[in-house]
Amino acid sequence: MLTNRKQALIMGLPLGAVLVAFFLLPMARLILETGTQGGVQLYLDALTKPRYLASLFSTITLSAVVTFCSLALSGVVGVFLARNSFPTKRLLVSMLTFPLAFPGVVVGFMVILWAGRQGLLGQLTKALTGDKIVLAYSMSGLFLGYLYFSIPRVVTAVMAAAEKINPELEEAARSLGASPWRVIKDVIIPALTPAFISSGAICFATSMGAFGTAFTLATDIDVLPITIYTEFTLSANIGMAACLSIILGTITWAVLFFARIVAREDSIGAAG
Amino acid sequence: MKRHGFMLHTQLGITLICCAFLIVPVCLSVLTGLSANAFVGISSGLTLRWVGEVWTLYHDTIWRSLLIGLACLGCCLIVGVPAAYFMVRMKSRWTKMLEELLVLPLAIPGLAIALGLLLIYGGFTSFRMSWLFILAGHVVFCLPFMVRSVAAVMAMVDLDSLEEGAASLGASFAKRFMTVVVPNVMPGIVSGALMVFTLSIGEFNLTWMLHTPLTKTLPVGLADSYASMRLEIGSAYTIYFFALIIPLLTAMQWVGAKSLKNKTVQALVEDSPEALLMPTTNPGREFRGVPVKLISCAKTFADGTVGLKPFDLSIEAGQTVVLLGPSGCGKTTTLRIIAGLETPDDGGRILFGDEDVTHVPIEKRNVGMVFQSYALFPNMSVYGNIEYGLRVRGDDAKKRSARVGEMLDMMQIRHLADRRIEQLSGGQRQRVALARAIAVRPRVLLLDEPLTALDAKLRHSLREEIDTLLKRLGITAVYVTHDQGEAMALGDVVVVMNHGEVVQQGSPRDIYFNPSNRFVADFIGTMNTLRCKVNQDLVVLPGGHAIAKSSLVGAPQALASSPTLLFRPESAEIKANGDGQIKAKILSASFLGHKNRLRVVLPDGSACTLDAPGGQRFADGEVITFSVPPEHLRLLPEAARC
Repeated sequence: MLTNRKQALIMGLPLGAVLVAFFLLPMARLILETGTQGGVQLYLDALTKPRYLASLFSTITLSAVVTFCSLALSGVVGVFLARNSFPTKRLLVSMLTFPLAFPGVVVGFMVILWAGRQGLLGQLTKALTGDKIVLAYSMSGLFLGYLYFSIPRVVTAVMAAAEKINPELEEAARSLGASPWRVIKDVIIPALTPAFISSGAICFATSMGAFGTAFTLATDIDVLPITIYTEFTLSANIGMAACLSIILGTITWAVLFFARIVAREDSIGAAG
Repeated sequence: MKRHGFMLHTQLGITLICCAFLIVPVCLSVLTGLSANAFVGISSGLTLRWVGEVWTLYHDTIWRSLLIGLACLGCCLIVGVPAAYFMVRMKSRWTKMLEELLVLPLAIPGLAIALGLLLIYGGFTSFRMSWLFILAGHVVFCLPFMVRSVAAVMAMVDLDSLEEGAASLGASFAKRFMTVVVPNVMPGIVSGALMVFTLSIGEFNLTWMLHTPLTKTLPVGLADSYASMRLEIGSAYTIYFFALIIPLLTAMQWVGAKSLKNKTVQALVEDSPEALLMPTTNPGREFRGVPVKLISCAKTFADGTVGLKPFDLSIEAGQTVVLLGPSGCGKTTTLRIIAGLETPDDGGRILFGDEDVTHVPIEKRNVGMVFQSYALFPNMSVYGNIEYGLRVRGDDAKKRSARVGEMLDMMQIRHLADRRIEQLSGGQRQRVALARAIAVRPRVLLLDEPLTALDAKLRHSLREEIDTLLKRLGITAVYVTHDQGEAMALGDVVVVMNHGEVVQQGSPRDIYFNPSNRFVADFIGTMNTLRCKVNQDLVVLPGGHAIAKSSLVGAPQALASSPTLLFRPESAEIKANGDGQIKAKILSASFLGHKNRLRVVLPDGSACTLDAPGGQRFADGEVITFSVPPEHLRLLPEAARC
């Protein structure tokens, strides 16, 4: 071995220090906080009291539905873009990946511009039917917002995976008499499954933890991050906030962990 | 076909709808931010009033976001790049855990991390009130992206051989890291850096919890402006955000496209005919070889497998020793022990001349090494590669350029001096690797299967060149190969190894004609075996013909009752008219031009391979007879027992 252990350890040391100081210690403190503020009873409360349970339930449902829809839409778009080349392709790809860097608040604002009180949708429906449709501040608004930040993430992953599919596989299937639908079912979807699993998990985890979008839309539906925030700031119930954070963190981590085991592919690209 | 067209149109339709869904509000926000009246829209006229107002209200948040973004980038570079190296280098349970740990900041919502940070550091008021508090959160959040981006590229680059290459030229750990590792993982560092900066600029979840009224960042300001319900201010402010991230995203796309393009050009350049014919010039004899001695060197690996059993090896100054054997026989381990890339087990010693170098690391041993993959540094030109070892040694510019020139001339590659490594053919790379190793005037030249990566024709011509070079230079050389032809052509001494042991050591001629056991006999060329019987003073060959025991070279008095005799295909003499000692039936005859190669079956059912002159004709199934002159019949030493 060329590099001796000591030299390699010195290289890893700063990372260890940063993680311990600013991640492991705070996390330990968070867990400790739930211990001193009620312990097991606190967790039981979090999982049984209707307010928290409803919040947990709506967050999980919303995230699952958003994940499914983004996978379906991005699957079509990603394969289409990876498989076809045309003059405006680069432009379309740039448009689809542009929102990748948007913080949740900006995504929320985008939904307001689409479907808020002065939004485009409202103006269009008013002009067409006389009734103004406003979706932004309801569950539909949250759904649109979550879809908005999920699509770019999944599209990039699907495109990367679709580019790696050997076109000869598809040609072979067609030479054996498979219809286009069968080719999709038997060749393309199986080849994309690992990408679907890993990007789906990231999409789910990001949706679970998304705070900015819901914060900007200020809906009456409390997703879990908003509940945590209100517990912490308004009710000053630090114990419950910590407890809900731990529950939320455990769920997202577990989803990512199992996805990585299943897809055997590292997941990169989850961002709040 | 029609159906296919329908599918395509559906796909295009969905793609366009998705694009519109994402981009329309972006355009709307830009238009609203520039419109005089947000409710009327663009028809109310364009104005920069809101953009200006936002600047007065919020410009401090923009500067603070840039400051935190840059500081976060700096921290991630300083911490993340070495950490990625650590994780790629030290594959163990601990790094696996660390990898898992690095996923956590991505999996655990920013809110939770922020809460933890507040609980633990909230009491340190001056830290809590400063932007450094936000920076700490951003670093935890962004660091995994940097580490993973760099580690992904590191895992693709053949770091092992590049670093070993640099070390063999004398570079210390720090020097190797800065001149070889960092430049070669630059694509990973650049894309990681862009990602970290973009993420930091846009981070909201953590920042919202960690900020104070005096440490607002851009996204926090945005949230404030959206909450103020003034659409035009929110929109104008969003324009600033777009203006910040568009260059970053463009750069990211550009870097991605560039690395993709690089990967596709990687295909090896074909060897041109002149590359094959390009002889090296006669180098002057430099007399710098030292004798090398290995004393009871053994190697047991960390997992307990024995790579090498204890053995001694003595190499005279200027001699070329070839270590020959099948893969896994320990030949490369031996070479790596001589190089200093592996240390022998306790008790083993390596001497260069009179100097004990057992515990001298490779960078201080002054060896030259040619790697199987060449390990040329892709971040340097041909010239830069050859010059590297001299630069590490601190030679001045004039001395360096003279020596590099000498090497370029010697290997006839002066016209390639400014080329990048990926623009070279296999044969050219081989020359550069040789030139780089020789340039530093090594005490010992070590070559690890240097011709394996080349095609047969090139291998042959380069083999001759290397032979000439080694002889002229008078350098002590150790050459590892699994190709017996190479071993025969190059070696003054051939050391045949198997299962971590030296099986036989001797001149090529010795090894070929007097193999010490069955393994050597089979490994070097083709060897036939004759199962014989002893009848008093006679040895009876298959088919009944007997020869005198005394006619066998080196046969002991006491011979096993059924000894095995060996002979090479070319020793067989095909006899006309059935005059030969042994009758055989031809199974297959292949005409190879200068000779026929016959596969025959003997009366006892065993098969042999015989060579016959190319002029003769043979047919499958034909019965022939052949003789082997007694001086070409060898008795296996292991058979010479009662």
